[in-house]
Amino acid sequence: MTRCLDEAKLQSYFDGELSIDMMESVTSHLASCATCAAAARELEEESALVMSALAAEFETSVPTERLRERIDAVVLGDRLAVAEATQKTSGLAAFFSSLLNFGTQRTLGYASLAVVMAFAAIFAVVKLNSKPEETASKQLEPTKTVALNSSASNTNPIPVPTGSNDSEAPKNVVLSKASAPTVKVHYTRPQSIASAAAPTPAPVKLFPGERSYLQTIAKLDSTIKSNQKGMRPSLEVEYQRNLAVVDRAIAATRSAAKSNPNDPDAADFMFAAYQSKVDLLNTIADARLGGGRGH
Amino acid sequence: MSAVCVVALVLSLAVAALAHDDKSDTKPGEKVERSLAVGAEATVTLCVASGTLQVRGWEKNEIHVRSLDAAQIDFRRIDKVKDTSKPPNRVDVMVLNKGTGANPKFDCQAIADVEMEVPAAATVQVQTRDGDIIINGVAGAYAGSQNGDIQIERATKLVEAGSVGGSIILKNSSGRINLSSAGGGVEAINIRAADDEDTFEVGTVSGDIQLDRVSNSKVTLKTVNGNVTMSGPLAKSGSYGLTNMTGDIILAMPHDASFQLNAKVSDKQNILSDFTLKYLSDVTPPPPPVIIKPKTPEAKGKTRETKGKTPTPTPKTGPVIAPIVVERPLPISHVLRRVSAVCGSGDATISIASFGGTVRLKKI
Repeated sequence: MTRCLDEAKLQSYFDGELSIDMMESVTSHLASCATCAAAARELEEESALVMSALAAEFETSVPTERLRERIDAVVLGDRLAVAEATQKTSGLAAFFSSLLNFGTQRTLGYASLAVVMAFAAIFAVVKLNSKPEETASKQLEPTKTVALNSSASNTNPIPVPTGSNDSEAPKNVVLSKASAPTVKVHYTRPQSIASAAAPTPAPVKLFPGERSYLQTIAKLDSTIKSNQKGMRPSLEVEYQRNLAVVDRAIAATRSAAKSNPNDPDAADFMFAAYQSKVDLLNTIADARLGGGRGH
Repeated sequence: MSAVCVVALVLSLAVAALAHDDKSDTKPGEKVERSLAVGAEATVTLCVASGTLQVRGWEKNEIHVRSLDAAQIDFRRIDKVKDTSKPPNRVDVMVLNKGTGANPKFDCQAIADVEMEVPAAATVQVQTRDGDIIINGVAGAYAGSQNGDIQIERATKLVEAGSVGGSIILKNSSGRINLSSAGGGVEAINIRAADDEDTFEVGTVSGDIQLDRVSNSKVTLKTVNGNVTMSGPLAKSGSYGLTNMTGDIILAMPHDASFQLNAKVSDKQNILSDFTLKYLSDVTPPPPPVIIKPKTPEAKGKTRETKGKTPTPTPKTGPVIAPIVVERPLPISHVLRRVSAVCGSGDATISIASFGGTVRLKKI
């Protein structure tokens, strides 16, 4: 892929909507094209900004409590008005005429009831449909999330269970709620309102030996962040630039290892990419500590 | 009488104050110089927060340090030998800015360009955060800079240099070499081993690696996104390991080069060779997956010490194909393939692992 990527493709890349082949193609292009890499970073930052700005809205249940209160108040007011009207008029004709009396308040009341019922219906339908979709998405895209989330630039490193044995069969790692949105960033409102309000942790299948790399990376990341002094801009720029390079390498090699589970070479490349990240973080940690004279 | 005493006291205080000023405060632009006799193979450390450091080896058993920016230069003897009549073998050079004094808290905090001469057989350890480092004609050199460039020439025993963003250039040196830069390029020209066990290692993340005439018998080059170019004759029975993810690998060798090639490359990429290669008929099947643990710098050092020489596999016969241009249709997923071939009698071993780059073997 030599041509620069358009914004739509980049957005699809971040949304995980591309095919595996296309994902790899975009990943390798980003690794070699500074312009597209910059555009990708910008897009990612914008997505993060949008997500943070809309976070409150996403977390609020629909319809909101305020809307419920308003609807209830209107309905209650309408009932009182009907009761008053019933008291004033008498007879069946008066009753029907009151029902067909579409005054302002009554109209509002009927409309509110209709809105409530419509919301309830949509909510029920979406909730029923969302469960199978969530399960399917967990099965389709679990591994990339780990590779990207293990980035040291992440504010919240992956919580890796301690005391586990790497030689055991691959285990599931539960992503924290805070770390999950860094990969699944959407401009558009999520399909499922319920799932957006409470993102379900996705189980991730790790390769044998991968856990120890993730643990090492998490430790080094926390070491770098534990230094209270802010990183100097020139160092920060160099760090982030190279971190993006190794993260892309990890993502690409992990994808290859996942699609070729019986090829040890694919896993070797992935571990080499992880080791590059460990080396980079070691270098930065040393640089942040000042190094000193070394004796 | 008392008036005379008061005047004498005031005068003595004034003279003392002037004397103190003369010693510690240097006017800007005034050169500060210090010298110290040391052992011929002394280890000398020098570090500043910012500034260019230049070190040169000379024939005298003495270190000489000068700076135009520093307020004061001191020496700190750190060897454990109690006999102070002998010249020290381990010395810290303390470069201090005005007002900091000799407080260890301000060690390595000076902002100053420094020039230093050391015995030619000495080992220097220099570090700066922002400036460049230039070292010439010493036995051992440890150099570290965050953003500055590092240039080392005529080192004879060992070189370890690391930079985060700067480039590293090593020329006309020998011994054990370890160069690493995250974002900067690494260039090495005319390097040889001083000892049979001397290794040559280079690692970068996005910087390119360029080697010209490196004759160490064990060469390891690793980069994530950089291009690797190595030119010059191969060491007899040498072992060359080249690993990258997306950059290209170019090996330019003499027409009579003799080597065995073991390559792990992407099915999507090409291996281009100007050499006549024999494919090995029976490529060993890949071993079962092994659990690899992350290597810390300490663990790497242990590996270096304990690992023996890699035995050179005996070349096997097979069909002759020359030149090799392997082009295959792009597969849907990223598939890796192994290529094992031999050129000549297969003296040296070249192991290449390239996840997504092109490999080219050129004749020079």
